[in-house]
Formats: sequence, structure tokens, C-alpha cells
Amino acid sequence: MAGLLLLGLFMGHPLAFVLGGTAVLGAVIAGKPMVLGIVINRIFGDVLDNYVLIAIPLFVLMARFLSDSGVTDRMFEALRHLMARVTGGLGLAVVFISILLAATTGIIGASITVMGMMALRPMLQYGYDPRMATGLIAASGCLGILIPPSIMLILMASYAPGLSVGQLFAGAMLPGVLLGVMYAIYVALIAWLKPDWAPPVRDEEQISRGAMWRMLMAEAVPPLVLILGILGSLLAGIATATEASAIGAALALVIVIARGRFQWATFYSALLETGRTSAMILFIVVGATAFTGVFNITGGLRASQDLMRGIADDPYTLVLLMLVVVFVLGMFLDWTGIVLLSFPIFLPLVGEMGIDPLWFVVLMAVVLQTSFLSPPFGYALFYMRAISPPHVTTGQIIGGVMPFIGLIIVMCGLIIAFPALVTWLPQTLYGG
Amino acid sequence: MPIIRLIDAINEIVGRIVSVAAIVFAGIIIYDVTMRYFLGQPTRWSFDVTKQLYGFYFIMLGGYALRHQAHVRVDLLTARMGHTMRRWTEILGYLIFFFPFAWIFARRSWDFAMTSWNQGEVTYGAVQLPVYPLKMAMFAAAVLLLIQGISEVLKLLLDKTDHLENLEPMDVR
Amino acid sequence: ENWTMTSVWPSSLELIEIDRKWVETVNALVDDEVLTIEFFEGGSLVPAGEVFGAVESGTVQAGADWPGYWAGRDAAFSPLATTSSLFNAVDYINWIREWGGQELYDEVYGKFGMVYLPYGVTNNESGFRTVDKPISTIEDLQGMRLRLSGLEQGRLLEKLGGSQVSMAGGEIYQSLERGVVDGAEFSTPNVDFSGGFQQVTKYWSTPGWHQSSSVFGVMINKASWDALDEDTQQRLRVAADATMLWSLSFTERRATEAYAQFQEAGTEITRMDDAALEQIQQLANQTIQEVACENPTAAKVYASQLRYLENYGTWREASAPFNLGRSPNGPDLAAIEACAN
Ligand code: NA
Ligand code: NA
Repeated sequence: MAGLLLLGLFMGHPLAFVLGGTAVLGAVIAGKPMVLGIVINRIFGDVLDNYVLIAIPLFVLMARFLSDSGVTDRMFEALRHLMARVTGGLGLAVVFISILLAATTGIIGASITVMGMMALRPMLQYGYDPRMATGLIAASGCLGILIPPSIMLILMASYAPGLSVGQLFAGAMLPGVLLGVMYAIYVALIAWLKPDWAPPVRDEEQISRGAMWRMLMAEAVPPLVLILGILGSLLAGIATATEASAIGAALALVIVIARGRFQWATFYSALLETGRTSAMILFIVVGATAFTGVFNITGGLRASQDLMRGIADDPYTLVLLMLVVVFVLGMFLDWTGIVLLSFPIFLPLVGEMGIDPLWFVVLMAVVLQTSFLSPPFGYALFYMRAISPPHVTTGQIIGGVMPFIGLIIVMCGLIIAFPALVTWLPQTLYGG
Repeated sequence: MPIIRLIDAINEIVGRIVSVAAIVFAGIIIYDVTMRYFLGQPTRWSFDVTKQLYGFYFIMLGGYALRHQAHVRVDLLTARMGHTMRRWTEILGYLIFFFPFAWIFARRSWDFAMTSWNQGEVTYGAVQLPVYPLKMAMFAAAVLLLIQGISEVLKLLLDKTDHLENLEPMDVR
Repeated sequence: ENWTMTSVWPSSLELIEIDRKWVETVNALVDDEVLTIEFFEGGSLVPAGEVFGAVESGTVQAGADWPGYWAGRDAAFSPLATTSSLFNAVDYINWIREWGGQELYDEVYGKFGMVYLPYGVTNNESGFRTVDKPISTIEDLQGMRLRLSGLEQGRLLEKLGGSQVSMAGGEIYQSLERGVVDGAEFSTPNVDFSGGFQQVTKYWSTPGWHQSSSVFGVMINKASWDALDEDTQQRLRVAADATMLWSLSFTERRATEAYAQFQEAGTEITRMDDAALEQIQQLANQTIQEVACENPTAAKVYASQLRYLENYGTWREASAPFNLGRSPNGPDLAAIEACAN
């Protein structure tokens, strides 16, 4: 099945149908066409009948409203002026906004689409290197699965007996924010070493401090209030992620109207765009769930389990091995597949070796960030491809995310060296 | 070819109507949140209704998205191919991957929908909503996707497709 | 034969241990050449809500369930899974094995081309866990938004002045934490504890009147069942009986341990008083009668259960205080029998 998957990907066929087609052909080749029934069961149960995923179209719609009204372009312009004296300022603004977004959505497709629509065009316009721009947006967008609230952490908790969602949220908070800080430091460093990769605002465009602050208040504050409002309604217990997405879309529309930018034609085309983008993202989930189901039922699950069992040794080797396995799986599968596949094998072994399961699960959550970024098969890459203008090549996007994959691996090393990064906050909040 | 125009028109109309549903389920969610926090009277039905509307919304748009070539692909190799080579690679992609999947999707969701219809399946709780309309929509969506695939392959065969060439430079999809 | 079997429970929920026990027992009792069952945990093949369809269509040969999940297809699945304030675990065992219950499982699952082997019981569920307001009287339930599953359960809660919120098990923790619901019931104390509810709820109201006990088992596709020889079928039934007995004592021991864990975690445990429970009984009886009279098959199941209670009640009362459980003041048998046709 892996071979078929690769063939289809390199043939340039739409990812959703490569996954779905591989599921069907895989079942037939395995001589078990009767298992195809589960394809429909999974599509309905995992994708259609799923309250959490409602947030995807609504966050996309929110981004679309903000983008069509010109609000996001000008917000980034204002933030760029604010950071004009900081080289790489626009890149830093992306990291900053991404951490905020991460705390609202937790859905990668939505985060990256939002960030891509808001930030990519201005970055390219101001002369950022396309590798730098796309890599940064893709990597920052992925912070959404690590920084709570996160659907990945919720799923992980349900697969890790004895660990609660609250503990995992608390455990992942610090590593998630730190990773964002590392991205910011990296951007600042690159901007200092290679100024033409992340150019500062050109002199003739520099404006006075007073004008800048007026612009900032006018352009950046409303969208920031919007984002903080969504985050606030989530954390204050007023709304779930799905509800926050609806509130976000409504508030974005209010901003558009308040600025006198509302037009029926733009409004309708925003709805159509949102429909296409949502179908694009959710059909990948459709294909992936079909693929994972057939892979599991035709023995792929068991085979990978047996392989792992043969090698387990001391705790450090075991953890390193598991990290490598997850990293390699991440090149081909998405986190849902990986969590479903690996946790039933990993967690009992982790228990036997006396490793703290909370620490281990958060470490897995961090390394799974790479599953979105590592070629040949990374959703963040595909989402970036989908929202990038055609003159940006896929090769540039892949080259762009590489340094960030390196930073994620560094972060894993830090968690192994300093377990308190994970365990301190949950212990403070929940005790023992 | 009239068949291409017909199929494209069907999915275009479906897409233009169904896309509006996003406003409807966003509205229902906001109504429910408002009722809950400001009036203390949550609705009994909004959870199931929004979920069903969302499912209906995105699944019905699969064919529409394909008609606009919005589905993400990896153009690592194909971008370097010549026009004819690329056309035939694309056609092959549809034959190997798209049609087997779309056929199974349509064929099996028909059985799936009919089972639900015959059982008169409803959601399980104090509010009992029928489930079969959504399952039937899934079958209809599969058919829309399948016929759009036929249209796309015909366009490739007749060399009438336009997505092979680059779109305008700053078209941020 | 080679069977693929899955479950509605993910590996993190202790309920899956009952399914694993049955599969282990079957694989020990039956020669590998005759039948091997390969068991996949919930979610790895199909989502929980789709296990029924997967067995019905023969995509998988067997699926472990709690019958109540299928009440949207036939309301009769509800009393086959649990009752509001009626049966305890021993009542279910008595009724299934000696008072005609098994035939009703065969009849209802049979309509969907399946054979059913009940192989697990858990006694009383925990009851409601609430964030910041204890429930000890019926007045306390007024206006409360509570996560609760089930048709009869939801209607009963509405009669008591609360409102039912349906959500998947995995969403409960976050909804409690964010105040989307005021409280929730989920399962037995040990299962609740593994879900971490002690971290987000301060109060626990016993007993679990909404779900006085529960039945678990395996759905088997009829064609796959018929392909087995009679001896093997018999062994599968023996394995089910053995698992059923084990599940009763296993889950009661685990519930006892978890009760202590909740106390240690500082959860305040309150009890509904007897007057409240009596009032709930009356409303539960009304609800059961309503549901039964909307669905003749459900009425047939309830009627059979009530006949058992009446019949067994004579000896149960005579043997007090050494008897098994209580004889509830349940719904009117004649009224429900009238709806069964
Ligand atoms: Na998040
Ligand atoms: Na990857």
C-alpha cells in the first residue's frame, strides 16, 4: 500500500483520491474486497458525524472575511511597521499571530489556511524569500496541534489510560510556546545573517512614530481583539472550539461591515471560496480515514506491532527508537493514523520500562509536529501548496520547512534532557 | 461536448447553493450560544442539527471542488513534465486512483443509505432526528463526485483543460 | 474460520477488558484450525457508532457492543442494554438465562441478520458528576444541562426538570472543564476515574438511577455464525457465560477501588434521598410506558422484564434479608403488555 501511495503522490493526482484509491486497491490486492464496507462506515462516522470538524469551514470563513475586506493585509502592514526597526519583523509577527491562533483552533488545516491567507501574500510582496515565508507559515501553523486546546491531545488522552485531557493540555503548554519562541529566535537570526531573506521595511516607506501608532490602533487592534476574544471565550469556558469558530466568523463579518467594506458579491464569493477550501481539506480526511481503516484491517497494524516488539531494550533506546519510528511514519501518515497505530504498541512498553506516560505522550505530540512538515507526505506542505501562488515551487516549500524540522528535533532533545519542561505545569496544577 | 457542460453545470449549481449552508450552521451555533448564556435556555436540537448540516455541506461540495481543481495535489514531478506527458499522467491517475475510490464510495454508500432508510434510523436521545437524509446525501455526493471525474477525464482526453497552465501569479487560493 | 472482531470501546476504557476476556476464553476453548478471532480495539477499524453496520453487512464477523447504542435503529435495544431504576446486574443475568431474555436478544438482533451473545454485566453506574453544584434533591436538577446518553434517560431527565446534552465520551472532560455542561454521567466509577473526571468535578451524586445496570456482549453476523459447527457454537456460548460471571465480580471490585480513589481525590459524594428516588421511580415508570407504547418490540421486551420481576418477586421477598437485590415498584405490566401487540 505504501508503494501505491507514493506512486499516486508522485503522479500528481489529488491527495484525497490517492489515499482513497489506495485503500480500495489495497483491499483488492490483499484479497479482502469485503473489508471495503468499513470505508463508508469510517467516512460517515469519523468525518461527517464529527462535531469538532465543524470548526474547519468556520475558521476558514473567518479568515476569508478578514482577508477579503483587506483587514488582514493592513493588520500585517501595521505590525510590520511596528517591527520596522527589527529586521525580520514581519516573520516575527507571523510567529506571534500563529501562537495566538494555535490557542484558538488546534486544527492544522484551518490554522495554516488562515495564516497563509493573512500573511503569505504580504510577505512575498515585501520581498521575503519564498522558502523562508512558506516554511515559517507552515511550521508556525502546526503549533496549533501542540498548544492547547488541541484535538490531537484530546485523541491522545483517550488512547492513554490514566492520563486526562487536562494533564496533557498542561503538559504540552510550555513545550508548545517554547517551540514558538525558538521559531522567533530563528527568524531573528536569519534576518540578521541574511537580510535579503527577511527584508526590513524600505526607508522611503518608513513613517513617523505617531503615524505608526495611529495605524496600529486603527488596523491591528480590531483583528487582535477578535482573536483574543475567541481565545478568551474558549478559556473562560463560554464556548467550545466549534462554537468559538462560529463566533469568530460572525465577529469577522461585523468588522467587515463596521469598516464599510461589505459587498454582497464579495460576501458570496467568500462563501464559495470557503466551500471549495473546506471540501479540499475535509476530503483529505475522508481519504485518510479510508486508507487507515484498510491498512489496519489488512494486517498493516499487526505487522508494524511485531516489528516494534523485537527491538525494545533499555528506556533510552526504546524512547529514541519510538521517536525515529514516529518521525519516519510521519513522512507518510498523518497524526491520526500514527496515534492509532503506535499508541497501542508503545504505551504498554513505556509502562513496563517505568517511563512517565505523561512525559512520553507530550514528547510524541512534539515530534508529531514533523508529520505535517516532512516530505514526501505532509499535510502542511499540501495546504501551503494549495494557498501559495503558482510561482512558488513545491521544492521551495519543502526546502523552507527543513530548518523548522531541525528545531522540532532540538526541542525533543530539550524535553529528554529536561523532563520538567513537561511535568512542571501539570504537577503545579493537578499535584503529584 | 454537451456532457461536459452538463456535468460542470450540475456541480456548479450544487456548489453555489450548498456553499451558503456555512452561514446557516454558523447562525444556529451562535443562536444556541446566545440562548444558553444570555437567556439560560439552550436549544435541544442545535447540536445534532449543526452536525448534520456540516456533514451535508462539505460532502456535497466534493464534486464542486473537483470541478474547480481545488483538491490538493503534489506537483513535484508533474510540474517538470511536458504538456502531453502531463495530460496522460493525469488521466492515468484518474483511472488508477479516482475511479476505483469514487465507484466504491458511490456503490457502498447506496447500500449504507438504503439500510438506514429501511430501518428508519434516528439519533439516539430525547430529541430523535432522522439520520437517513444525511446518509442519502452522502450517496448523492458520491455520484456528483463520480460524474465530475468523468467530466474531468473527458476534458483531459479532448485537451480542453485549463488547470495545467499556471494561473495568474498572485492568485491565492 | 478466521474472524475479525472489533469493539465500540477504545483501549483506554476498562470496559474493553470484558471483550478481551471473551476473546481469550474462546481462543483457549476452540482449536485454531476451527476458529481464530482476531480482535481490534475500538476505533482502529470503524468508529464506535458504525460497529453495528459493519457486523450487519458482514464486513467484520463480530462486534462487541453495548446494545443501547443502536436504539436509534430500534427502540427495543434500549431495555436490552439498561433500564432506568429497574434491573440490577443479577436481574439481568436471571432474566437472560432463565426467564426468556436470551430469546428477545435473538429476536431483536435477528431482525438485523445477527446473533447476540450477552457476556458482560456491570451493576449500577456512578450517577451524575457536577462541577460546582451538588445534586441531592430533585429541585437541584432544575435547569441543569447534563451530559446523558439514552432515549428513556433523556426523557426522564426532562421530566425531572433538567436538559439532556448528547456528546461522545471523549468530549465530556473538556465540556465539564469549560462549563459547556453543568454535569455529566459516563459509566461505572472505575471507568469514570480513568477518564479523569475527579479533576473537573467537585460533586458526585449517587446512585445511578438513570442506568441501574448494564449489559454488554458480542454481535455476530448470522452467516458467519451459521458457518460454525454446533460444537464450536456451544463453546462460544460457554465462553460467554464464563465471561459474564467474571465481569460481575471484576467490575464490582474495580468500582469499589475507584470509589475510594474518588474519596481520596477530594470528591464530595452525596446521595439522593429515598423520597427523591421514589419520585424518580414514578417518573421512570411513566417514561418506560411512553416509550414502550411507541414501539411494540420495546414493549415486548419491557413486558418480559416486568413479568420476570413479578414472578421472581415472590421468592425474592420471602428470602429477605438474604435476597439478591430489591423488587422495584415498577411500571404497570398490563398497560405495557397492551402496547406489545
Ligand atoms: Na491548539
Ligand atoms: Na510528513
